[in-house]
Amino acid sequence: MAKKKIRRKKVVATKAAVKRSRLGPRDRKTIQELVGMADRVVSTARRRRDPHLDIPTRSLSNVKFNRRKRFIEMGNNTNRRLLFNLSQAKSYMQTMLVGSGCKQLIEQGKNTSIRGLYYMLKHTIEGTKENTFEEQSDCDPIIEDVEVFLGSLREELHLYADKRGEMVGNLQLEDNGDLIDCSRMGSGGYGIPSIVEPSAIKFKKCRAKFVLHVEKGTVWQRFNEDKFWRKHNCILTHGAGQPPRGVRRLLNRIHNELDLPIFCLLDNDPWGYYIYSVIKQGSINLAYESQRMAIPKARYIGLRSKDYERCNLSPSVRIDLNDNDRKRARQIAGYPWFEHKKAWQKEIAMMLKNNFKLEVESLISKDISYVTEQYVPDRLTDKDWLD
Amino acid sequence: MAASQRDISVSEFFAKNRHLLGFDNPRKALLTTIKEAVDNSLDACEEAGLLPEIWVHVEATETNRYKVGVQDNGPGIVKRQIPLIFGKLLYGSKFHRLRMSRGQQGIGISAAGMYGVLTTGKPVKISSKISKRKPIHYYEIQIDTKKNKPEILNGRGDGVDIPAGTKGEAWMTKHGIEWIARYGEDPTDANAKEVVSGTRVTIELEAKYQRRRGSVDEYLEQTAIANPHVTIHYVDPDGGYRSYNRSTDTLPAEPKEIKPHPYGVELGRLIAMLKASEASTMSQFLTSSFSRVSPAVARKLCTAAEIKVRASTRRIGRGEADRLYQAIQQTKISAPKTDCIAPIGEELLLKGLHQVVPGEFYVASTRPPSVYRGNPFQIEVALAYGGTTVAQRVTRETLVELIQQTDLRTLRQFLIHTFDGLGSGSAENILKETELGTRKSPAKLKAKEIDQLHEAMQNVKLGEGQTMNVLRYANRVPLQFQPAACAITQSVLNANWRPYGLSQSRGSLPTGPVTLMIHMASVWVPFTSESKEAVASYPEIQKELRLAIQAVGRKLGMYLRRRVRVRQEGERRSIFLRYLGEVATAVSEINAADRSTLYNQLLVLAKKKTAEADVKLDRRGRPIEEELDLGDNVLIVDPNEVADNLTTS
Repeated sequence: MAKKKIRRKKVVATKAAVKRSRLGPRDRKTIQELVGMADRVVSTARRRRDPHLDIPTRSLSNVKFNRRKRFIEMGNNTNRRLLFNLSQAKSYMQTMLVGSGCKQLIEQGKNTSIRGLYYMLKHTIEGTKENTFEEQSDCDPIIEDVEVFLGSLREELHLYADKRGEMVGNLQLEDNGDLIDCSRMGSGGYGIPSIVEPSAIKFKKCRAKFVLHVEKGTVWQRFNEDKFWRKHNCILTHGAGQPPRGVRRLLNRIHNELDLPIFCLLDNDPWGYYIYSVIKQGSINLAYESQRMAIPKARYIGLRSKDYERCNLSPSVRIDLNDNDRKRARQIAGYPWFEHKKAWQKEIAMMLKNNFKLEVESLISKDISYVTEQYVPDRLTDKDWLD
Repeated sequence: MAASQRDISVSEFFAKNRHLLGFDNPRKALLTTIKEAVDNSLDACEEAGLLPEIWVHVEATETNRYKVGVQDNGPGIVKRQIPLIFGKLLYGSKFHRLRMSRGQQGIGISAAGMYGVLTTGKPVKISSKISKRKPIHYYEIQIDTKKNKPEILNGRGDGVDIPAGTKGEAWMTKHGIEWIARYGEDPTDANAKEVVSGTRVTIELEAKYQRRRGSVDEYLEQTAIANPHVTIHYVDPDGGYRSYNRSTDTLPAEPKEIKPHPYGVELGRLIAMLKASEASTMSQFLTSSFSRVSPAVARKLCTAAEIKVRASTRRIGRGEADRLYQAIQQTKISAPKTDCIAPIGEELLLKGLHQVVPGEFYVASTRPPSVYRGNPFQIEVALAYGGTTVAQRVTRETLVELIQQTDLRTLRQFLIHTFDGLGSGSAENILKETELGTRKSPAKLKAKEIDQLHEAMQNVKLGEGQTMNVLRYANRVPLQFQPAACAITQSVLNANWRPYGLSQSRGSLPTGPVTLMIHMASVWVPFTSESKEAVASYPEIQKELRLAIQAVGRKLGMYLRRRVRVRQEGERRSIFLRYLGEVATAVSEINAADRSTLYNQLLVLAKKKTAEADVKLDRRGRPIEEELDLGDNVLIVDPNEVADNLTTS
């Protein structure tokens, strides 16, 4: 058994030697980090110490709102993960497995989805009936741990998430060598890939003046069908709910590199508020990526708590808040980045007072194209938005 | 109308209301008959100071007819008394006294005889011998239900005397009279010790023989647990022989008769006692008719009741009696003497339970005596944890027999109802293992499928899903029916077992491989009915039950917690070992380090980390922790030993 393993390792090692010369500088750096992690295990074991990993904590307790930069930053707290601790032994082993899996991907110059990596690493532990990973949900947080631990981005580990979210508008870009005209994407739109770094996507020509990001595909469809982006000369994106990293990173790049303002059209409920918060300040879980994800200047144009009266909506479109919603709303109101914004405090208080929430689709009760022909254009001309 | 009014004899009444005495159905009739005979035998032996040896023979004569023979090595019965004891209801020595004994009213055995005569027409046969040289008195009697009087059928209404020695033996063989003359398994062995005295009763009755729950076998097994000084030889209707040997040679202390305790006397009874008393003064009356009333206490009572100590008992009116009654309730009088109760004792409880119920942990607790309505009583609880269950011990032959006997429609029901403490969860597990359908009929099983079932029953881990097995006893007699109506079961249900390491859903028995034995010893056990199947719930009894259960529960909790801890230590190591290989492989894949070197280094580290667990595991080769002090009423058995015992027995 041991012999077999050794031989396998040797094969990998020689292959690695061949490939290494062809690796780019970023890949070389990532490999260096990975090897460093493995070397520390070997050296601690040799010194008869507890092998451990100090993984930065990914929770609200370890994020700081940087008032100057106006986004969430990760603090310095770390969680120590020990091999010789009953409750951590398995996740320690999984962390090492993810590390070795990523190294393999980098060396072979291939990318895979996080689900792919899960299957790559899933196997039965020798002499037991236990699997290294039972479900993908076991694997995902470990991948994020490895990302923060190494300080590497997901694409640097040659991993991508499922792609979600679409884009359409007056923008031409080059995606891995293919020229894409986002104004000629038909009704489907351009699916935003998970990796949108400059190495993969280069902006070519842009005539758009701003970006409208909507919450869901259905709303995006409405805007696309009404050719809103052509009329108002903009880029139209959606993130299918909480936008994935690809969408957020792309918005960030458009905002910073093309200098376009970002406007968000989201549901009037705590989840809509939080989507906005994530786009603007970054998420708590991925605070270490805020630097390249957050768009502190993003604006919230709707829906607003006052829209029920302002737009004369019928009572039937109201959805009652439940306990969970109310709790979440109060939580959001307490976040440091909302705490000192009077307009936002008023907005949230009003929703709580209304005791109902509104979805963007509720505007359809006025008219099918009310949202594209009246609501959004009015807000834009009035400059009526929340910041 | 008036012409048809007449006396009803007790016998007639019970002949019509046989269920009151435990003869509701043929199955129970068999059990009750044996039970009454065995209980009487044990009482007789113990009163005479003889170590009891009981022979129980059950034999099928016709369909649904069984002949039951129970013999003891007791003192025997003098000739004159035999017909009365076995042929007259409510005749006995035990009713009028306050003393702990198995039987109480003197209904049992004569009622069994009456039931036999009613259902089969065959008389009750009694043989009794009082010493080595004396003859065996042999009677065939039946009860005259109208007059509640015995009717002797043989020897022209006078019985037969069979002389001792070989001549008598020959006569008995000729006339088909059964008598065990020698100890030991082989009765023909002439060198074996002779049975010099004893009584044998043979009753033929309509009955049904069934194994397991509520069966004769179960009764005898449970009797053996609570009576470690008794040896029982048992021949079942299929000719199978089994014996439960005594694990101690000391007889239980002889319980003494007592006078009633003042606390238990109600006003009406007090007045009646005053009237009947021959004592001339109040002081004399109080000290002579009650236990625990010294002249000093009597004076106290009288003062409190504003009665003169020297007042004549005849002068006490209703008002004074009431005051006296109140005074009794308010005065502190020490609890009745406890020597009227002979508890089994913690040591013997452990021995008895260990002898019959396999397990790894035993604990017993005997509460100090207490009093309900002035009757002293004492609660004892013993608990066995672990080991194999009935379902696991069953042999293939017995299983086949059980399957043939059952009239249950599905296998699942069969498993749940046949085996004690086998919950529905365990039954499902067994069936899952066998891959037989839940709804399969037991009658239709093929030989191969029975094999599968038998194997599954032994292999499936039943411990978790199985419910606690509760054995109830009153004065060393097992109570097998009406568990729900019994104060004992209620106390077990009401106890919270979760802190003691067992899982329990609301309002049901806890689950786990546990056998709980609860014994109530009292001069007068308050049964809920004449069939003596359930103990009534007096608050004092409930309290004592609760305390006793808690006492053993705490010990069980300590033991289980320690076991969990030791197991965790062991598991810890195996968990580390499990992952080390993976870690070493992954690391060596990343930085091309030598896998086996790294693995060995990690292994050394893991061993160092779990060294603590090592110490506890390796001493004597099994998990043990030395600092656990559970006290002396606890018995811990090596699990390996349990397995050994099983294979040898």
